[in-house]
Amino acid sequence: MKKISTIVASAALIASMSYAKEIKIGVVLPLTGPIAAFGQTSNGGLKIAYAQRHTLKNGDTVKLIVLDDRGDKVEAATATRRLIDKDHVTAILGEVASSNSMAMAPVAEKAKTPMITHASTNPRVTKGKKFVTRACFIDPFQGAIQANYAYDHGYKTAVIVTDAKQDYSVGVSKAFKKAYLKRGGKILGRVIINSQDKDFNAQVSTIKAKNPSIVAFTGYYPEGALMVKQARAVGIQAPFIGGDGVGFPELIKIAGKASEGFMYSDHFNEAAATSKVAKAYVDAFHKKYHKPADSMGALAADGYNMILDAMEKCSNPADKVCVNKNLRGTKNFQGVTGVININKNGDAVKSGVVNVVKNGKFAYLTTVNP
Amino acid sequence: MDILTFMQQMINGISLGSMYALIAIGYTLVYGVLRLINFAHGDIMMVGAFVAYIAHSSGVPFELAVILAIVSAMITGILTDKIAYKPLRDAPKISLLITAIGISFFLENLFNVLFGGVPRAFAAPDYLTSIIHFKGIVIPMTVIIIPVVTLVLLFITLWILNKTKYGMAIRSLAFDIPTVKLMGINADFIIMLVFAMGSALAAIGGIFYAVSYPSIDPLMGIIVGLKAFAAAVLGGIGSVAGAVIGGFILGFTEIVVVAFMPELGGYKDAFAFIFLILVLLFRPTGIMGQDLERSRF
Repeated sequence: MKKISTIVASAALIASMSYAKEIKIGVVLPLTGPIAAFGQTSNGGLKIAYAQRHTLKNGDTVKLIVLDDRGDKVEAATATRRLIDKDHVTAILGEVASSNSMAMAPVAEKAKTPMITHASTNPRVTKGKKFVTRACFIDPFQGAIQANYAYDHGYKTAVIVTDAKQDYSVGVSKAFKKAYLKRGGKILGRVIINSQDKDFNAQVSTIKAKNPSIVAFTGYYPEGALMVKQARAVGIQAPFIGGDGVGFPELIKIAGKASEGFMYSDHFNEAAATSKVAKAYVDAFHKKYHKPADSMGALAADGYNMILDAMEKCSNPADKVCVNKNLRGTKNFQGVTGVININKNGDAVKSGVVNVVKNGKFAYLTTVNP
Repeated sequence: MDILTFMQQMINGISLGSMYALIAIGYTLVYGVLRLINFAHGDIMMVGAFVAYIAHSSGVPFELAVILAIVSAMITGILTDKIAYKPLRDAPKISLLITAIGISFFLENLFNVLFGGVPRAFAAPDYLTSIIHFKGIVIPMTVIIIPVVTLVLLFITLWILNKTKYGMAIRSLAFDIPTVKLMGINADFIIMLVFAMGSALAAIGGIFYAVSYPSIDPLMGIIVGLKAFAAAVLGGIGSVAGAVIGGFILGFTEIVVVAFMPELGGYKDAFAFIFLILVLLFRPTGIMGQDLERSRF
C-alpha cells in the first residue's frame, strides 16, 4: 500500500513538473441587475487584459471563472463561497460595489483566499482584512477631489445626496462633507435616496428649496441619471458632482441633455493615459469595442495583472498565502490607471481624475495626485 | 417649508401614488378571482415596458408600440396561466404562490439573458414628458395623465366586473369555481380572461412607469411589484377601488417622509410598511376589504 502511494505521489510530482498547471482566478461581478453596467464594463476590460496575458512565466495557464451576482450582496457572498469551495480558485477579483465587496471579504478572509477588488472605494472593504486588497483609491481621497474641485471653482454651497443603501455613497458623502467644510464651503443639507428607487421628486423639491450652488451626488448612475433629469425638470440649475459611480454612458443615455455639466471624480480617462501599458490597453480596447476605454474596465485589467504579478513571484502560483503576501506587497505597479502602490491597509495609493459630461460625451478636466 | 414647496410635494405625492394605484389594480384583480398573489405581476409589467421600448426604438410609432406591448403582455399573462397555473388549479394555494415566484424569476432572467441587465433609456413622445409650470409649481404631464388613466381603467374594470356577463362569471368564479363549472360556464376561459385583463393593466402601468422614470431594466418590476402589492393589501386585497386608495396612501406616505424628514428619507420604505402594518393591525382586511372570505372586488 505504501509503495502504491509513493508511486502515485511521485507520478503526481512528475506530472506537475512536466505539465503546466491551470491556475484558476474567480471573478465576481454584477453582470446583470441595477448596476450591471459596472460589471459589464469591468468584464470588458478583463477580457482585454486576459487576451493580452493568460500564461504565467513558468508556463502555467490562467483560467477565469466569471460569476454574476446580479448586484446583490447575498449573491456576491454565495458566489465567493462557490468559487472557493467548488472551483478551488487561487484568487478572487471583484466586486465593484463596496457593499457587495464587503459581503465577499469575510468569506475570502476566512478561507484565506486572496481577494482583490478593482473598484470598491469604501475604506471598510479592506479594514482589518489580511486577504483583501484593492486596485483603486479610497473614498476619503475621492470625496476630497470632488469637494476641493467644487469649492475651488466657485461652488461654495452644497447639498449632499446620499444613497442610504450603498456603503459607497455613505462613505463618499462623509468624505465630501469633511473636505468641503475644511475648505470653507457650506453644507446646506443632506437628502437621502435608496438605490433602485426611481422617484426622486420629493428629494429634488427639497433641494430646490435650499437653493445650493452645487449638488454633491454620491450615489450610482441609475439614480444619478433619473435624479438629475428630475432636478432639471423642476428648474434646479446647480451642477451635479459625483464619484466614479456615475461615469457610465448610461448616465448620458438616460438623462439626455439633463446630464450636461455633470462632473465626477474617476480612476481613469484615456485622454490622460500616457504610459506604455495604458496605451497598449487603450489601443486593444478601441480595436475590440470601438468606443472610448472606461475606468471600470481599466481597473479590472489592473486588478487582474496585479494578481498575475503576485502569482509569478511565487514558486507555486497556486499558493494562496504566498500570492496574497505578494499582492499586499505590490509596489510601483505600472497599471493602465497609473502607478499603484499598496499601503499597509491593502489600499491603493494612486492618482485620480475629474471628468465632466460635455456635448453628450465624457470630457477630461484634470488629474489629481494623492 | 414654504407653501410652494409644500404644493410641489403634494403634486409629487399624487404622481407617485397614482403610479402605485395603476399597478395595484391588476394585482388585486387576479387575487380577487383566484386567491393567488401573482408575484409575476411586476414582471409582466416589465415585459410590457420592454416590448414598448423595443418596438418604439425600432421605429414603430409610440401609440402602436403601446398596443403591441399590451397585447404581448396579455399573451404572456395567458401563457403563464396556461403553462404554470392551470395544472395547479386544484393544488394547495401555497404551490400556486411558489409557482408565481418561479414565473417571476423566469421572466426576470429570460429578459436578462435576452437583453442584458444594463438599464436602458426609455424614449417617450414629448406630449407625455412635457412639463407645465403653474405659478412656480412644476407639474409633469404624467401627473395629470396617470391619475386620469388610473381612474378610467378603474371604472372600465368595475364596469366589466359589474355590468357585463363576463364580469358576472368572473365574480361568481371568485366565490366558487366547481359550482360555476356545474352551471356550464367555461371556468378556464374566464380565468384566462382575468389574466388577460390583469396583464393588460400591468402593461399599461409598466409603460407609464417607464414614461415617468425613463430607465428600464429586467429587474424593474421587483420593487414596484412589491409596492403595488403593499398598496393592494393596504386598500384591501381583492378590492379594486381599495387598490387605488392604497396606492395613493402609500405614495403620499413616502413623499411626506422625504419631504418633512429628509434625513430619514432612507427609511421611507420602512415608514410606508410600518403604516401598512398599523392599518392591518386595526383592519386586518385592509381599508376597503370586507370579511376575508366575502370580499369580492
